[in-house]
Amino acid sequence: MSETILKVEGLNKNFGGVAAIVDVSFEVKKGELLGIIGPNGSGKTTLVNLLTGFVKPDSGRVFYRGVDITGKKPYKIAEMGIARTFQMVKPFYQLSAFKNLIIPLYSSRVRRLRGGMYGDRDDVAIDLLEDVGFERDSFVPYKVASSLPHGYLKRLELARCLALRPELLILDELFSGMSMSEVASTLPIIERLNGEGLTILMVEHRLKELFRIAHRVIALNFGSKIADSPPGEIMENEAVKAAYLGSEEEGEDA
Amino acid sequence: MLLSILIYGLINSIILALTAIGFSLTFGISGVANFAYGGFYILSGFLVWMLLNYLRFPLLLAIALTIGVVGLLGFITYWIILLRVRGIALSEVIATFALGVGILELFRYLGFVTYEFTLPYLKKGMILIAGVPVDYQRLYIIGIGLALVLFLYFFTHHTRIGLSFRGIAQNERTAISLGIRSDWTAALSLAFGCAMGALAAIVILPLGIISINTGYEVLLIAVAVGIVGGLESVSGILIASLILGYTQVFTGTYLKPEWMMVVYLAAIVIVLTIKPSGLFGKFKELEERV
Repeated sequence: MSETILKVEGLNKNFGGVAAIVDVSFEVKKGELLGIIGPNGSGKTTLVNLLTGFVKPDSGRVFYRGVDITGKKPYKIAEMGIARTFQMVKPFYQLSAFKNLIIPLYSSRVRRLRGGMYGDRDDVAIDLLEDVGFERDSFVPYKVASSLPHGYLKRLELARCLALRPELLILDELFSGMSMSEVASTLPIIERLNGEGLTILMVEHRLKELFRIAHRVIALNFGSKIADSPPGEIMENEAVKAAYLGSEEEGEDA
Repeated sequence: MLLSILIYGLINSIILALTAIGFSLTFGISGVANFAYGGFYILSGFLVWMLLNYLRFPLLLAIALTIGVVGLLGFITYWIILLRVRGIALSEVIATFALGVGILELFRYLGFVTYEFTLPYLKKGMILIAGVPVDYQRLYIIGIGLALVLFLYFFTHHTRIGLSFRGIAQNERTAISLGIRSDWTAALSLAFGCAMGALAAIVILPLGIISINTGYEVLLIAVAVGIVGGLESVSGILIASLILGYTQVFTGTYLKPEWMMVVYLAAIVIVLTIKPSGLFGKFKELEERV
């Protein structure tokens, strides 16, 4: 757990004069499960977009495995091994859940890692779907995404990222909109993936669940990093308390 | 009489579908309305003609070469012309329309305006279908139209590039988060669209002469079929072609042949008034706009 996989240095981003991210720096070690919390509008999703190339920073640098990826295109960053989910689910709506995974399984990254032609794509896709809780022998994996309930689409986001065989997985509020039982069944999956060595950066509003599995938590408020500590101590931090100021309950339900 | 209308209506519909499909394919994947489509269509006709008459190439070689070259030109068009105005729909339309007009008027300027410019039939002769005479060229058009639909289905469902096309078409942000290169895909969509336009030109143009005005008409057909069917849906294209194709043949038979062109324009106006996203379109925002 010593090698640094992601290094963020002095990241800044303004949207039309509104500071979304202010001088944020942090590191993620290989194999770490890092949580990122903060009240609504504190810049969490902007940070994810900056790390994955969907938004270009005004200043600052992002290094992934020692390579400067600042301002690189999202497809380049994905190709290098950073996969992300979207807070607002973005499946390929007119394709089945199964086909949603075939697309990343055809990606250049997977072909490079697994060799150009391999015949078991269908099996890999269905295994991944089963992993995240799709009923393998039912018709659910073959229903078009637009007809699936929200909880399934959230888990499809996760499966789609895993299909890319990432080295760094970024989850943008994966649990939001999931039922209690869905969260309860997804939590062990994330724990297991992390246990297998996958580095995970987890933006989350469900603090109780996050604190149970995270090694370390960073708190953002108005775009600035206000705390960086183990999960057991983060809510003791005065700045974090002030930021959440009674909105903690609401945050957990969101 | 009725049988003749049925058969020629079907042939006319397939000609429309074949003419429009390249334009719709590009738009459906990358959102680029390639208004140079008619220009590339006529360019394909002249290219085959020149390869046959100046360089004495065998027909099949000339056809294959032309489809390849026009596809490549579509690919290059994306990087040189479209990339600079990407995302600004109006500029994309103006840029590609200017290119199309440029191609067509260049040929007019060079004197490609006489009746000698015709392409050969793939096979001469005709057969009787239930007493209605149909020439082999039109049968070829039906065959190639059907083959193209089957190819497109296989291509978009079972190949890597086809799947990345669908990914980009359905959700560009998700697709690029999976390592699919949006610009490459868009450039390829333009290449495929242009190549399909070239194929359509090569099988349809032998029915008449290669005329520069046909280039403008082809663009009108592509836009009309696209608007009626919804620009991004293959089944929409097929059904829109059937509607327009049969309406045209009825119009030509029972009214006057001069009115056949009016069918496209009337269809565009009627559909845009009643259901702007097209009969099978998925971009419902047009209806929801206040």
